[in-house]
Amino acid sequence: MMDEDFPTDFQVIVVGTGMVESIVAAACSRIGKNVLHMDSSDHYGGLWASYNFEGLQKFIKEVNSDPDRQKQVYNLSEKWFIEKESAQGETTDENKGEPRKVWSQADFAAEYRKFNIDTTPKLLFSRGPLVELLISSNIARYAEFRCVTRVLTWLNDQLMPVPCSRADVFATEAVGIVEKRMLMKMLTSIVGYSEEEMNNEFKDWNNKTLKEYLTHKGLTPNLIHYILYAIAGGNNSLPCLEGVKECKKFLMSLGRYGNTPFLWPMYGSGELPQCFCRLCAVFGGVYCLNRPIDKVETKTVDEGKTVVTIDSKSKKLNCDHLVIGVHECPEELMSSEPAESCDISKAVFVTNGTIMASEKEPLTLLRFPPLADDDNAVTVLEVGPATGSCPKGLFVVYFITKKTKDAESDLKPYAERIFDMSGGDQTAATDKPKCLWSLFYNVKDTSSPVSSVVDNVHVCSGPDAGLDFDRAVEQAEQIFKKICPGEEFLPRAPNPEEIVFEDDVTHGPEFQREQDEEAEPKE
Amino acid sequence: MAKTYDCLFKLLLIGDSGVGKTSILFRFSEDAFNISFISTIGIDFKIRTIDLDGKKVKLQIWDTAGQERFRTITTAYYRGSMGIMLVYDVTNEKSFENIKNWIRNIEENASADVEKMILGNKCDLDSQRQVSKERGEQLAIEYQIKFVETSAKDSLNVEYAFYTLARDIKAKMEKKQKEASNPSGGRSGVHKPTLNDARKPVTWLSRCSVL
Repeated sequence: MMDEDFPTDFQVIVVGTGMVESIVAAACSRIGKNVLHMDSSDHYGGLWASYNFEGLQKFIKEVNSDPDRQKQVYNLSEKWFIEKESAQGETTDENKGEPRKVWSQADFAAEYRKFNIDTTPKLLFSRGPLVELLISSNIARYAEFRCVTRVLTWLNDQLMPVPCSRADVFATEAVGIVEKRMLMKMLTSIVGYSEEEMNNEFKDWNNKTLKEYLTHKGLTPNLIHYILYAIAGGNNSLPCLEGVKECKKFLMSLGRYGNTPFLWPMYGSGELPQCFCRLCAVFGGVYCLNRPIDKVETKTVDEGKTVVTIDSKSKKLNCDHLVIGVHECPEELMSSEPAESCDISKAVFVTNGTIMASEKEPLTLLRFPPLADDDNAVTVLEVGPATGSCPKGLFVVYFITKKTKDAESDLKPYAERIFDMSGGDQTAATDKPKCLWSLFYNVKDTSSPVSSVVDNVHVCSGPDAGLDFDRAVEQAEQIFKKICPGEEFLPRAPNPEEIVFEDDVTHGPEFQREQDEEAEPKE
Repeated sequence: MAKTYDCLFKLLLIGDSGVGKTSILFRFSEDAFNISFISTIGIDFKIRTIDLDGKKVKLQIWDTAGQERFRTITTAYYRGSMGIMLVYDVTNEKSFENIKNWIRNIEENASADVEKMILGNKCDLDSQRQVSKERGEQLAIEYQIKFVETSAKDSLNVEYAFYTLARDIKAKMEKKQKEASNPSGGRSGVHKPTLNDARKPVTWLSRCSVL
């Protein structure tokens, strides 16, 4: 039924619904380009998607049975720590007044819809480019966020809150008064540097690390730990200037929305590409999922103009520009393989409690320093039911690091520090939450830019290992500028609230103006 | 900015392409009907504030933006919706049959306690009718959902439909609030980033400076 009325000619065709592809689709559609956006899979997001529990099981099965997909995702290892069915008579213990429910695999299956598990969990810096873009483009209205409530680190064999704001530094009991002054002085000077001052101050530190700089400044090991591992999110080899810039980015985002510099998207990071898709659709973009492409051809017509033709479900689709996700792109169209880089090790855990007790439901960023010398730093995100990630009583915890060996070997030692991974009685009082389910996997790092052999084919990178979406936003803007030179990138979409009709309110002048604009003929 | 309403309901319109979702939206929000208005370009949602038992209820009604055409509505569309209008066209058998698929889609993606209502639109076109009113009623009974035939063109039952859905949501909400010992609700702390938020360039320094 789909194919009879399927249009075949577009200015821009976007293949893949990952973050970069979706931003480009929205930007092109917003300024009036005729856009077709499609995906070979039956859901949005590609490798940036979130899944409910059933969807995640399907994803695991698909990857395990498809050697082609194992080029992107491999070393999958899923494990249950709980019984298949709840034991007879062992109920949720509400009448006994015990706080903990005994979860079974059947309970997970029954509540599968309440899970939203991310394949690419990421945070937004409150003053970072994505938040600014969401606000300036008015796409923010399609999304909701929660503030990350705390930043933790692993110090002296235990979890420790990281003092990041001035008030935190003042309030913390973890460091003495002399250290407080030192920390304040360092953070204040980092925030204060202009780009020029920064380059000047650090000109002699070009080939040195942030750790060397902090040591040189006389900071104590505790303070170096906070700044290097928790605030800069680095490791011992983090170059000095890069690390200082990371610190500044962190500090500049403080104080906008909450106590930390970070926002987490409600229902997971996988919602964000969809928000851009919605904008694209509102401005006339045509959407089609479940539509694999078979072939991409280019043909030079008059005056050297190239038309790209896609074969999909025995239909030929033509466009002036093709924007395509790196995983969907035929190899012969790429000028090179993505630069050889370090793959990503990831893990997801579902636990029955938070890693560190807190008055209100916490939303946590934990930055682990490398536990062994040749390890990389590990980023941990713990999200709870209030974020729409899981049913009440559970937490979803993500681990991300650069791959050294394989996901399980890289991450299990870290997980064991903060979870009880022994299985057994879920109601037993322990100081660590019980791990109920785990999944380890590796993802090929396809985040480095790839150019195409044809000018009007634009290849979008896959997700990177970084904490934020900044690289995706940057790349999307670059691609848009190539397709639509001189055009504004995602100008503000008119706000429907400006065209309010109320029962008994007289219309103000602003409304009148909006209505006039609306009344102009559209295509 | 002063809040000019007591509560805000997010409503969705769902149904096949061409059943008149956008027309219903325009009839209700602007009391207008434009026959030449075929596509949904640029329409995101519309707002109308209504009075329900002395309470100002702001209805934010979202359109599918054409993403229903090839069944590609995003999961994000359903988030936080409190009421859904399922629309079919009485002159189009297929659109009626597809209501069941849309209900399945809602069950998969919307909150479990979302209020629903079925609308059989274009009932002014009686000579082209393919779906009888009785079949519409029967389907509604099967799913225990309220049903009404509407005409966005003749402005028939559109007001009634939205008021009914809004009233049902309000009743459910009040019942929930009564049941809950703690009426504060679970959605505190959710942010929509806006320009109204503090935008001082460096707030890190702007706190106390005792140290």
